[in-house]
Amino acid sequence: MPCIVALIVFGIMGIFSASHRALAEEAFGCVFKRITFRPCNTGFAEKIKGKILSKLLVRSAFLAKMVNRHYEILSWIFFILMVGSTIWVGRGVYNFYVYGSCNGLNESGFCAFDPSGENNKVTSVGDDSSCGITQQSEQNVTLENINLSGFPAINTGSKDTVVFVGCYACDYSRRAYPDIKKLVENKKSNYIFAHYPAKGDTMFLGEAGYCVQKEYPEKFWEFNDYLFTADKDYVLNKSNLDEILSKFGFDVKKISDCANSAETKTAVQDQTTELKKTNLYGTPTIFINGKAFVGPKPYRVYRSAINKFIFF
Amino acid sequence: MLNVEKIRADFDVLNPESPAKAPVYLDSACMSLKPRQVVEAMNDYYANYPACAGRSSHKLGDKVTKKVKKARELVTEFINAKSDDEIIFTRNTTEGINLLANSLGLQKGDIVLISDKEHNSNLVPWLRLRDKIGIVVRICPTNEDGTFNLDNFSQLVSGAKLVSVVHTSNLDGVTNPAKEIIKIAHQAGALVALDAAQSIPHKKVDVRDLDVDFLAFSGHKMLGPTGTGVFYGKLELLEKLSPFLVGGDTVESTSYDSYKMLPAPEKFEAGLQDYAGIIGLGEAVKYLSQFDFKYIAEHEFKLNAYITNELQKIPKIKIIGPEDPKLRSGIVNFYIDGTDMHKFAVMLDEMAGIEIRSGRHCVHSWFENKKIYNSARVSLYLYNMMEDAETFITNLKKILEIL
Ligand SMILES: Cc1ncc(COP(=O)(O)O)c(C=O)c1O
Repeated sequence: MPCIVALIVFGIMGIFSASHRALAEEAFGCVFKRITFRPCNTGFAEKIKGKILSKLLVRSAFLAKMVNRHYEILSWIFFILMVGSTIWVGRGVYNFYVYGSCNGLNESGFCAFDPSGENNKVTSVGDDSSCGITQQSEQNVTLENINLSGFPAINTGSKDTVVFVGCYACDYSRRAYPDIKKLVENKKSNYIFAHYPAKGDTMFLGEAGYCVQKEYPEKFWEFNDYLFTADKDYVLNKSNLDEILSKFGFDVKKISDCANSAETKTAVQDQTTELKKTNLYGTPTIFINGKAFVGPKPYRVYRSAINKFIFF
Repeated sequence: MLNVEKIRADFDVLNPESPAKAPVYLDSACMSLKPRQVVEAMNDYYANYPACAGRSSHKLGDKVTKKVKKARELVTEFINAKSDDEIIFTRNTTEGINLLANSLGLQKGDIVLISDKEHNSNLVPWLRLRDKIGIVVRICPTNEDGTFNLDNFSQLVSGAKLVSVVHTSNLDGVTNPAKEIIKIAHQAGALVALDAAQSIPHKKVDVRDLDVDFLAFSGHKMLGPTGTGVFYGKLELLEKLSPFLVGGDTVESTSYDSYKMLPAPEKFEAGLQDYAGIIGLGEAVKYLSQFDFKYIAEHEFKLNAYITNELQKIPKIKIIGPEDPKLRSGIVNFYIDGTDMHKFAVMLDEMAGIEIRSGRHCVHSWFENKKIYNSARVSLYLYNMMEDAETFITNLKKILEIL
């Protein structure tokens, strides 16, 4: 038992220091019975105990005495803590790999692998729209009973469905967008795009997008890609819209008439209302087969979510 | 009197840049430290004339041959052998004893008498021969306090072909009365081999005065290079021994179906040798020879007496061997009933860089027999100071307080 604790402790410490690496090696031998308890060799457990006690003894004889007296109990406590924290760390690593956060899907608490919380940053949805970490209480973000039929979709009929709810103006949506595009291209999954105007005045782009999809459905994705990847300030400046539309060879008048029509305004408003029913609290929110990923995750997170067995 | 301070200056390991880091080295029975002179002699070989001895007739080869010859002469003189040809270089005591065991031509039923306190090196080779060819290994029990029992010995020696006993024990430091043992054995018609691993470094050993037939010791316990040793045998006996390692350097000439062995010592030194080690060993002999062993023994006794006296004040500590430190050379081996002594060694080292040995000191048989788990051994040498002994005692007491 002490050998196992020691192996784990020194194994980790050994990553940073050579002397601990040597101890880890000894612990390894101890675990695998190479160093057995022989009267001519210092047993590993005994050695560790001696080292601990002498470190304490030079500081406080009383402390050393207490530790010596309760060594068994202390080592059990230590062992349990050890196992606990090992599981905890393992869980953190798993979560980080699969969800991009040590604490679990969309949890924005501190994670050593992502200290600035990049993977959970969203543009929050609400009155006070601002980009940043938004600590949310448990929310039930869901696609259940949401009608997505009006949104642009490709690869319909695929077994996997990816729904991207994002905002043209938000950096985090813009960051996630190319990864989702790549994911959909690689996995040929059903992909539904939904614009959600989380920040600033992007309603006009939503409306333009709606009309492009209506009038030039074959060109919609190209147009959408452009809005997410071209210079943000340029795209968000209303006065540039006509130029953009003409760049794609669209009939500028046709699109702007459409966008300004009451019917479009209602339709887009209805879409936003529909999206609100998902209880989303920030963009981007990406649903992969119904599971919500809030904030821009590393690509592997999205991939793992689609893969059957995480890695493949 | 020894000038310990001056001696210590020769040992680099005792003089690190930060004096606080100097080890309190109390494990010389296992391995002695090496003075700069020895290290330099070895380095000189490697740096300036790293060639073959005996075979090559170029300048470098000649130099090696001369240096090795000189080293042999130094050893001859050191143990007062009759001839340089009686000195065979080995890797250690163990090899010397194995050489004897495998070359003596013992037959089934031949009796080898050893003591009950032998180092594994002087036990296993004989047990092995017992298993292989059926010799009889007879054990001579020592007294309760570890001292040699000549009466037991006189009775058991009759019929023995060989007596192979430890000269000074690494277990308790007791020096056996070699001269008497040899006399009695010879009267009984037995040859005598001495395991002198622990005696050579600490006392004058005169093979002619002892009239010992064979003697083995290690260079690394007497300030010499690690992995060096000497096997001494009376020339007329060596001539009769049949070497067990043969090949290059052991033969005068060969044909496809015959060979003619060289005389001793060459016939026992098969293949190219550890010339740097041999030369370093010669240097160690030279170094040791500048001191009168009487003063070394006196110095060790002074420190041993202090440690013994302090340990005797602690009721649970038991010292292995006689109470009188005079009888234990530089060794204080102690234990506490029911306690694994390893932790003392580990803690002393951690706390103050005090290096002692714990375990069974390769005398498992004795520990098994006495039902003692293991012990902690302090062993002293000429470079130890009174402060070493004091530091040891102070820290040992601290440990005892908490355990
Ligand atoms: C009494 C005795 N004999 C033999 C040996 C074996 O010496 P080596 O290991 O150098 O062969 C030792 C070493 O500890 C010893 O103390």
